[in-house]
Amino acid sequence: MATSLIALFLGVFFGFSLNKAGLTKYNKIVNVFRFTDMAVLQFMMTALVVSMSGLYILRGFGLITFPNIPGTYIVGNLVGGLLFGVGMALTGY
Amino acid sequence: MKFILNYIRKETWSPYVAGILLGLVGILAVWLSDSLLGASGAFENLAGMLGQAVAPQVFDNVYFNFIMPPGFTYGVILVIGVFFGGMIGAASSKTLKWGKKDSANSDPLWKRTFGPQVWKRWVLAFFGAIILEYAAGIAGGCTSGLAISGGMLLAPAAFLFIAGMFASGIVTALIIYRKRY
Repeated sequence: MATSLIALFLGVFFGFSLNKAGLTKYNKIVNVFRFTDMAVLQFMMTALVVSMSGLYILRGFGLITFPNIPGTYIVGNLVGGLLFGVGMALTGY
Repeated sequence: MKFILNYIRKETWSPYVAGILLGLVGILAVWLSDSLLGASGAFENLAGMLGQAVAPQVFDNVYFNFIMPPGFTYGVILVIGVFFGGMIGAASSKTLKWGKKDSANSDPLWKRTFGPQVWKRWVLAFFGAIILEYAAGIAGGCTSGLAISGGMLLAPAAFLFIAGMFASGIVTALIIYRKRY
């Protein structure tokens, strides 16, 4: 129950930040591939930098342990990414 | 205080500010519940649940038994939260178009590129989403589940995925937009 509430809580803020960054709009998503609006990259990379440094600092203090790190399958990740890009540029979601 | 409230009401924030918020959410996800953010997995969990109810033999395979167990998982609840979070975000800037006339196809760029018809948007969204979900299944995650959540743990998979995503995304956008690129 508690985990469900945490998931819901985190999801709300996740959706909120996506909406405020404009990532719920077609033009934002497709324009990053046209190099006319870099909001998607700015948003993603900021999130990455913040959480990356935060997580590694917290782990350094021994406050958290990392969950299972997504496995590396060079072909799978790359082919999946290539296909994903097609869908992303097509739909803008 | 007033400044913060006014900023919350803005339709689009600086992507850096929104990114910091998502970064904090990512940290909290690991800290509070020892799991990662992700969207695409939830749909696979639900599809697995539906599939095992309709055609148990077809869905009785390694993928749905071990990799993506069906059921009402953490990810599904997260996605429900994302739905309402997005709505709250839109409502806070008074851009929520629930039930309004052009709500199904309101993006000016999309209209200019493909036309104003709503059915076109639905068809493209449907088939595009099949590609997206299938690709996320191959790669092991989507933009949020692999690129951001994996990236923040410095997983090599995330960076391979991002490279692939942008390479083919740029090519697809080139094909769609041609001269207007």
